[in-house]
Amino acid sequence: MDRDSILEIRNVSKTFDLGGGRELLAVQDITFNVERNSICVLLGPSGCGKSTVLRMMAGLETPSAGEVVIGGHAVDGPGRDRGMVFQAYTSFDWLSVRRNVEFGMKINGVPAGERRERAAHFINLVGLGKFADAYPSQLSGGMRQRVAIARTLANDPEVLLMDEPFGALDAETRWLMQELMIDVAEKTSTTMVIVTHDLEEAIFLADKIIFLSSHPGRLKEEIIPAFKGGRRIADKERVVKLDGYGELEARLMRLMREEGRHAE
Amino acid sequence: MSPDSRSKRFFQLRHPVGRRQRFLSAIGIWVVFFAIWVFATSTGMVNELLVPAPQKVFATTYQLFIERGFTGDVLISIGRVLGAFAMACAVAVPLGVLMGSFPAVEAIFAPFVSAWRYLPAPSFIPILLMWFGTGEAPKLALLFIGVIFFLITLIMDHTKNVREELVETALTLGAGRSTVVMKVVFPAVLPDIVVAMRQMLAMAWTYLVIAEIVASTTGIGAMMMRARRFLKTDEILSGIIVIGALGLLFDLAFAALHRWMFPYLRKKR
Repeated sequence: MDRDSILEIRNVSKTFDLGGGRELLAVQDITFNVERNSICVLLGPSGCGKSTVLRMMAGLETPSAGEVVIGGHAVDGPGRDRGMVFQAYTSFDWLSVRRNVEFGMKINGVPAGERRERAAHFINLVGLGKFADAYPSQLSGGMRQRVAIARTLANDPEVLLMDEPFGALDAETRWLMQELMIDVAEKTSTTMVIVTHDLEEAIFLADKIIFLSSHPGRLKEEIIPAFKGGRRIADKERVVKLDGYGELEARLMRLMREEGRHAE
Repeated sequence: MSPDSRSKRFFQLRHPVGRRQRFLSAIGIWVVFFAIWVFATSTGMVNELLVPAPQKVFATTYQLFIERGFTGDVLISIGRVLGAFAMACAVAVPLGVLMGSFPAVEAIFAPFVSAWRYLPAPSFIPILLMWFGTGEAPKLALLFIGVIFFLITLIMDHTKNVREELVETALTLGAGRSTVVMKVVFPAVLPDIVVAMRQMLAMAWTYLVIAEIVASTTGIGAMMMRARRFLKTDEILSGIIVIGALGLLFDLAFAALHRWMFPYLRKKR
């Protein structure tokens, strides 16, 4: 696939000040690109700094060295061009689903008519059409994440950043949400960067997997799941049955296990 | 009889009680209380002058309202509480939210506010009387001082507890600092602010009575001090009952306000 990159991570390191003169090197000298309209998955064992990398992309953390470049200029703080979905529920409980989805557009001055139209479109896209007037507290965990996704997409970001978005969901819901994301990626051509520690999720969603090692987080391998033949397949069962799926999963397992041993 | 009530004990270890049992238990404790009171007064165990019978207290309460213009005193007291409380909220809500949102604002005001919290408000009464005389001002000032510093601290703490992800979500949607505070932090903390206000309103009643007992010719507390001079224990007890009833009433009103303002907190399931 020949695509230009929208997001470049250039020699990025991150050191956290733990106080008392102690420092923690969380991320060390990571470089990779995220291609436009692609799904890039950051995978690795816990403590590999994958969330930190994502947060630096969002502008919620500042790199100690190196830079994150979006659309040609360096990231300096959060902005609407990089929408983020968190693992924890972030629905604004005092607003209905519709008003939640309109939130970003409202604060960015999108006229009311267009706002309503776009909100309705994205609410339908994530399958919440019947719940537009419900409050988030009336929804299940999976539905709340759908609200968060619709809210971010409706704000028209260049990149959708997701930090273990389905980590808090039960298995079957997670699986439905993964299929939904493929559907959304196909329909909206949104570039996505997804952090996960779930191998299946990574293989199913990724056009490219960035595997990070732990303590400190370094780029270990860039893996293209070539067995999918450059297509996205919105049916998880079919992906699992493809030749090469098991092989890739075993390879990632090996990588995970190696890193896990490192950590101990 | 439901089938599972068969083996149910009255005192179940850590087992929630049903509506019926809860209701009967609540009534029961009051019945016991009044029974002891009636028994003690009717048998002459206690001096009737110091402890009037409950029926006499209720009759006096009725009389106070109907024949003796007690309603005026009650309204004055309510006005004082609400007036001073509104002023305290007008300062505490914005300041508390700002302190909880911006550590820099907290760094400025927290050392000041927390020092004041350790100064008991009634200790200001003598100086307030000297500054403001005996009008409404010293009473309002006492209530204001008594409530505001706790209110600021409570609201600040609640504001700090607004989850970081909500703030970060708003930031990545393109919100600026003031938008985050106004459109996310404030609405997120508002239910807790109303709860804090409810708690502090109860405290405002306490200070009201102190203010009215020490230096006032009007209000519920003043009526009770007048009654003391004429050994009217029934009127004193009436005053206590009325204050209690008003406190309860305002608490229920706040609870209703909370339900009305925040329908989304009600679980449908």
